[in-house]
Amino acid sequence: MNTTQISQDGSRTSAGAAVMLTGLRKSYGDVRAVDGLDLVIAPGEVVALLGPNGAGKSTTVDMMLGLTRPDSGNVTIFGSSPRDAVAAGAIGAMLQGGALLDDATVGETVGMVASLHRKPMPVAEALRRTGIEDLAARRCNKLSGGQKQRVRFAVALVSDPDLLVLDEPTAAMDVQSRRDFWKSMHGFTNTGRTVLFATHYLEEAENYADRVVLMRAGRIVADGSVAEVTSLVSGRVIRAAVPGATESALAVLPAVTEVEVRAANVAISSNDSDTTLRALLATFPQAHDIEVTAMGLEGAFLSLTSSENGADLS
Amino acid sequence: MSFGYLVVEVRRVLRSTRFLIFSVVFPVLLFLLYVGIFANGDQAVVGVLMVNMTAFGALSATLFAGGRLAVERSVGWQRQLRLTPLTGAGYLAAKGVTAMLLALPAVVLVPLLGAVAEGVSLDGAGWLRVTVGIWLAVIPFALIGLLIGQLGTPDSIQPIMSLTMMAMSLLGGIFIPVDTMPSWLLDVAQILPSYWLGQVGRGAVTTDLSVNLGKAVLVLAVWTAAVGIGVVRRYRRDSARV
Repeated sequence: MNTTQISQDGSRTSAGAAVMLTGLRKSYGDVRAVDGLDLVIAPGEVVALLGPNGAGKSTTVDMMLGLTRPDSGNVTIFGSSPRDAVAAGAIGAMLQGGALLDDATVGETVGMVASLHRKPMPVAEALRRTGIEDLAARRCNKLSGGQKQRVRFAVALVSDPDLLVLDEPTAAMDVQSRRDFWKSMHGFTNTGRTVLFATHYLEEAENYADRVVLMRAGRIVADGSVAEVTSLVSGRVIRAAVPGATESALAVLPAVTEVEVRAANVAISSNDSDTTLRALLATFPQAHDIEVTAMGLEGAFLSLTSSENGADLS
Repeated sequence: MSFGYLVVEVRRVLRSTRFLIFSVVFPVLLFLLYVGIFANGDQAVVGVLMVNMTAFGALSATLFAGGRLAVERSVGWQRQLRLTPLTGAGYLAAKGVTAMLLALPAVVLVPLLGAVAEGVSLDGAGWLRVTVGIWLAVIPFALIGLLIGQLGTPDSIQPIMSLTMMAMSLLGGIFIPVDTMPSWLLDVAQILPSYWLGQVGRGAVTTDLSVNLGKAVLVLAVWTAAVGIGVVRRYRRDSARV
């Protein structure tokens, strides 16, 4: 009921889809982790899966990979079951959590996984693409958090998959490692592969995804390009220095949805920034350094995934 | 499963000092030590000690190898492997084969020392029994290791393994040879698969207190089947849940 499907172009129809999820449901006890999810991803798309903790992202990913059986609904990956797609080496994945062996070296770890696949890329190439050639002989327990993530990326990559699924791939990475990671990712997506990644970093979705899927409480609440999802939220933010302003005084201004006051600096979210701004200047004529901006993906994210607002959008 | 995969699996265990101490160094050293203390030149005693220490090394190696599953499970490596063409059966088979390969050092080294250093002399069939025979007879222990590895956590696995190994070797007639056991303990010993493992080798070195080989093989086969079913069931339940 509250899915906001923006674009329905032909490429997202089921035929030849990389990923097709229909009516997917999964409960753990009383908790509905995924509650009726439909999603079609076309080959070559790079899709970011966003949502607050507990939105059902990881459960969705697990069902896509065949690690968790859905209570109802259907998953097809390139037209076959997840199990068959995995057996064919069509899916590579970086799961959340450790997933490396302390007593194996980097080269052995990637080599082990490669040896299980029918048509892997050479181990050296997987290491080169993920920028860890020089770590090949190092034990996995002697790696930094960011290096571990790259090894796991190499493990996901070594089967030369058509679909790459990444569950929070850059968690535990510093800024530079994250940048390097996405650079090597670009090398992969440029060859027309399909990528789905779950992330907490909105700027990663903004910078690297063709399409953003926003989840809340086990459902999709918005689905489209970054521009499209951002435009769903009409509000703007007014930032200004307003000496003597209090939260309560600002909150009663017309069309205000949210107020943040830090010393003399205020940030006012508004449905109608013109009206709010006029009222603000009338009440606080000494306000200065005024700046009005669109909400951006972060605003859209907060607005669409908070429980009161999401349901009203349609 | 592939050859390269197995090589890494074996190499990983060989990096563990714990494995090397319990499954290679101990059996060899204890054999030499015990012969010096207890044998007094009695070739039958030397033979029994050789068989028992071979069995000890092989059973501790296989148990140890299986117990490592607990770690792989907890760090999510099993889940990662489920994203490869390796099937559940293939995974378990690889673990079983790895465990069996790791039993080889004890199965080769202790009898070799027995022949070269301690002057044990057996006919061809006898040597086959104390080497290949004992090696095959630890199959149920490889499975017991896999079962414990699937039930335990990285924290609980070491105490569980130590207890299992102690029970198997102390009560099963491995560390305390059946010759010195009181009759009630001998009754208890027969409940354990380690008693029958020891018997597979014992018949080759002495007729005293040894049972028919066919019977020992049969009991071990039943253990193998029963624990094997447990391992497969547990894996199925485990992989359905996560």
